[in-house]
Amino acid sequence: MSEILQYVHKDGFFHRLHPFSKILFIIVASVMCILTTSIPFLALMVIALLVIAYLSHLHREVIQQLKLVLIMSVVFIIITVLTMPNGATLGYLIPQGVPLIGGSIAITDGAIGIGLILALRFMVLIFAFQLFLISTQPRDLVHAMEKLHMPIDYILMFILALRFIPTLQIEGQRIHEAQLARGYNPGTGMIGKIKSVAPIVIPLVSNALLRSNVLGLTIDMRGYRTGIRTHVRERKFCAGDYGMMGGLAVTVSGFVVIAIFASGLIF
Amino acid sequence: MIELKDVCYTYPHTVQEALHRLSLVLEPGRCIMVTGPSGAGKTTLCLAACGILCHEYGGKKSGLVTINGRDVSTYTGLSEIAKNIGIVFDDAEAQMIFTTVEEEILSALEYRGLAPEEIEKRLASIMEVTYLTELKDRSPHNLSGGQKQRAALAATLALGNEILILDEPTSELDEPATRRIVEILSNLKRQGKTLLIVEHKYAHFRDIVDTLVVMEHGAITAIGAPENVLHDERIKRIVIPDFSGLNLKVSLSAPASADITAAPLAIEVQNLSYSYDEVPALHDVSIGIGAGEFVAIVGENGSGKTTLVKQFNRLLTPTSGVVMIQGKNTRNCSITDLARDVGLVFQNPDHMFFADTVKDEIAFGLENLGIENKDVVIDAALDEVGLLHTKTLYPRWLSRGERQRLAIACVVAMQPAIIVLDEPTTGLDGDEARLVMEILKDLQVKGHTIIVITHNRDIARYCADRMITMEQGRVISDIRVKVE
Repeated sequence: MSEILQYVHKDGFFHRLHPFSKILFIIVASVMCILTTSIPFLALMVIALLVIAYLSHLHREVIQQLKLVLIMSVVFIIITVLTMPNGATLGYLIPQGVPLIGGSIAITDGAIGIGLILALRFMVLIFAFQLFLISTQPRDLVHAMEKLHMPIDYILMFILALRFIPTLQIEGQRIHEAQLARGYNPGTGMIGKIKSVAPIVIPLVSNALLRSNVLGLTIDMRGYRTGIRTHVRERKFCAGDYGMMGGLAVTVSGFVVIAIFASGLIF
Repeated sequence: MIELKDVCYTYPHTVQEALHRLSLVLEPGRCIMVTGPSGAGKTTLCLAACGILCHEYGGKKSGLVTINGRDVSTYTGLSEIAKNIGIVFDDAEAQMIFTTVEEEILSALEYRGLAPEEIEKRLASIMEVTYLTELKDRSPHNLSGGQKQRAALAATLALGNEILILDEPTSELDEPATRRIVEILSNLKRQGKTLLIVEHKYAHFRDIVDTLVVMEHGAITAIGAPENVLHDERIKRIVIPDFSGLNLKVSLSAPASADITAAPLAIEVQNLSYSYDEVPALHDVSIGIGAGEFVAIVGENGSGKTTLVKQFNRLLTPTSGVVMIQGKNTRNCSITDLARDVGLVFQNPDHMFFADTVKDEIAFGLENLGIENKDVVIDAALDEVGLLHTKTLYPRWLSRGERQRLAIACVVAMQPAIIVLDEPTTGLDGDEARLVMEILKDLQVKGHTIIVITHNRDIARYCADRMITMEQGRVISDIRVKVE
């Protein structure tokens, strides 16, 4: 089973970067994708991220998330079509030929545009954060956050939240199998679906709480919260980091220049 | 050195004492093994001995615990105690915080105030001692049970403490993995480490144990040199599981294939191969299991035992080959259909419990299959496993052994012809393991086909009619166990 958002041990371009460079990369990508409303520009950002993933030998891991990202994109577009009709009508969600309710939900170009912008922003954010998380060892993250003077308890909380994702994923799979073996049949319809959640979620949460108790004691008994730490194998800024900084500086400058002189391209 | 004097402890919201007037001295360089039935207070003893009860738990406490001559309550907290004692809990998975084995150990070393060169030196040494050097870049989540335990032990060794407490370090491990842990602990003892080990597998640890402690109902009922403690027959039965009373005389004979042709086949596996994504797990397995047989499937972790039995109720579908259950090809049946024929009890019973009462827990399976007369069926199933008195209790309040028996009851109530159990005696003491096996023998007599996956060859030898051994996804031997 592939682990969601977990560090992947490889030696690619992104792996060699200092966590600070990667954090800066995420900030720039996030701010730019939130500021812009241009679909071509957002699409360009998605392509750029996929190219970076390919160059860093992380394209396989990024593509694994594609299914989820595409499903969410379709959901965004449907929600905007339903809630934000705007502009020219392209067609109807319920064809006009259907008796009584035919032609009742209009599909407008404005709603599709907003849906696409949301979907592309979502893709940029997911891909950027995924690249960061799967290429950075938690130790390096702890080092970087300590340098930023974040309290150790908050750092541990962040690391453990990430660490619990595969645990819950594996545990959920085991519980699902155990219930299937007892003839468990996920219900149909909304009420059936809600009822069928209990046999999976209750053992999952109960076991996770037990496990978090052991985890908490382990953290204390290994002395992680003492704060006195010898830093070994600390990442140093390398040529790649300077390249990344330069690239980000050029991108941000370009973004600002376009925003001032040719704002139509990005807004 | 750790000393407990007249320690009593009652968990919050409970009335019964988990520890009762417990006194114990762990001297430097010695190894104490604590054993006893589940619910006897062994884990609570570990928590008391390393000061966790004192600093992290509420409840009623009395008595005195000292670590290296100092009262635990005078330590500022666990961080200070952690400079004296290392503890490895039974759930190895829960102790993995980082994303590679090396990172796990290195991170623990970084908090010891050592020079960077010393950290690198110790890292290499610890990985060598715990046989983890080749696994250093692996994700802890993808390790086997034994490897995870070694990683958890290594991260604790990184603290460099002289006293180590280990709570059931081998409970879910197969023979080779258990032997490896024992070898590591034996080496640590030779280096002068002080060990307090909670375990059920006395036979594996006998060479390193100086003092054997038997606990029952929160109190020590036997303590001393192992040879003295084991003179008492009752105590011996708790310490060393004995399945010999179930079948009197046994002997191993030639391959079983000739005998099974007589009974109609409950399960027929033909040329079964299975791969997880692209990783092969089963290669061309062909076996037939007759109706009413008691079959033990043995083999090391990762040999394909669980993968094989998951094909019986189609939790997994063969990559190639055929699996026939009661004459039906599993490819043509749904998992729910097969649940009527094959009941599967997983290793960890806690993966299935979600209801508020024992009765509702069993009713879940009956409702899924539309079985009528629920109350009668539930009572019969609970009676079968000796848990009729627990009907209205919350399942997770039961002891480990009782939860295991409840898991069996949940499956028995669904009245499948074939019952498959994955490691049903894991984490159980001798008496409980024996009770579980007696229940299974009883079910066999009532006409069920029983298949048990186990690391314990004694179970295979004394309880089963037949022993199938797997290795690297293949059946390497299929032997009939005969009662003479």
